[in-house]
Amino acid sequence: MKLDTSGLESSAPLFGSSNELIDGISAGPSFEIPDTMDFDGFQKEAVQMVKPAKGTTTLAFIFKEGVMVAADSRASMGGYISSQSVKKIIEINPYMLGTMAGGAADCQFWHRNLGIKCRLHELANKRRISVTGASKLLANILFSYRGMGLSVGTMIAGWDETGPGLYYVDSEGGRLKGTRFSVGSGSPYAYGVLDNGYRYDMSIEEAAELARRAIYHATFRDAASGGVASVYYVGPDGWKKLSGDDVGELHYKYYPVMPSTVEQEMVEVAGA
Amino acid sequence: MSIFEYNGSALIAMVGKNCFAIASDRRLGVQLQTIATDFQRIYKIHDRLFLGLSGLATDAQTLYQRLVFRHKLYQLREERDMKPETFASLVSAVLYEKRFGPYFCQPVIAGLGEEDKPFICTMDSIGAKELAKDFVVAGTASESLYGACEAMFKPDMEAEELFETISQALLSSVDRDCLSGWGGHVYVITPTEVKERILKGRMD
Repeated sequence: MKLDTSGLESSAPLFGSSNELIDGISAGPSFEIPDTMDFDGFQKEAVQMVKPAKGTTTLAFIFKEGVMVAADSRASMGGYISSQSVKKIIEINPYMLGTMAGGAADCQFWHRNLGIKCRLHELANKRRISVTGASKLLANILFSYRGMGLSVGTMIAGWDETGPGLYYVDSEGGRLKGTRFSVGSGSPYAYGVLDNGYRYDMSIEEAAELARRAIYHATFRDAASGGVASVYYVGPDGWKKLSGDDVGELHYKYYPVMPSTVEQEMVEVAGA
Repeated sequence: MSIFEYNGSALIAMVGKNCFAIASDRRLGVQLQTIATDFQRIYKIHDRLFLGLSGLATDAQTLYQRLVFRHKLYQLREERDMKPETFASLVSAVLYEKRFGPYFCQPVIAGLGEEDKPFICTMDSIGAKELAKDFVVAGTASESLYGACEAMFKPDMEAEELFETISQALLSSVDRDCLSGWGGHVYVITPTEVKERILKGRMD
């Protein structure tokens, strides 16, 4: 099975000895291929241990002014909350963002790898890579590792010559172009709020508030989402972080505690 | 996720000076989806005896109804309320009856016994009693709860301080558990009064 190992090439040879390898075509270090015919089954135990449950909520949508990207910040291992402050919006380069859902290590590594390849493209072609091109690079790499247990559910959002771009890419090898996406276990709840409040011509503040509310509602209903709702905006000049609000405080801002009418009053009992 | 983690729950009971407190979270979920944020897990058996049931919600409700039935019969026959120690033995027996097809619950029993001495105990799902002098915990967040209680507990606390301690222990533990939280429900019971309070917690 020929894997696409271009993502792991480095110009320096491993042991510095074999000359036939340094010929312009560098076959650098690659992941070792296991000594088995059953590529899909042998990793089942290992995959179960990592538990790629995609417990998260991320969303992105295109509107008149650009692309709005938002995510929660909870990392869960089964029922345990391992962190409430994970950065799920990854900055690939100053005008492109990627979101993280699934295995944290997988997403972080391959997004950074994508950033490297985008930069190499810029240097080789003297122009920035398009969002279409960047998402295709990532999708091809993930497709070649299909069945090996990677868990990545990401959205690539950016601004290129053709305007705002948004693609959904996952570890099964799928790649979809679209205007509205939400990924993760909290995505049904986020879609409900997002689809209800979405209009193409919103201002940046309105779009940010919609994204924030959608994430908040997902963290309320979904147990695997929570922490901080981060909202990023991608415009013609690149991305900008707009806000990072703790959802615990957002709840009481949206639904403040009202003093309720007293039904039964308790009085101190004199003596015992 | 196991059957005990299907609905999600968190329970603590703590002993103070001639008083006790019992607290629970308020979430009812179906695996990762939250269905309700006002679910009652602590039930009053009589004025000086409270029962908290963690684990599978349907078994908790059915078990509570059976135990209330048994206690009402006891009240009719004996013309008095059950002592907490007796009630604990009753719960243990009812659970062991279903040894080979158990109720997927972990009960927490808290009450004031003779001479207003507080009594707390917990059990596993087939009735093994665990009596403690300081605190007992149950639920999906039980490991976090043990840690928090161990760190925050002091013997012979008065009612107000006990309320603060149990609330902080509950809230900080459920903030590390996906499946429980969404507020808190605390009962502080002294020989003269029962104080019920709702806690404002993180709703994520």
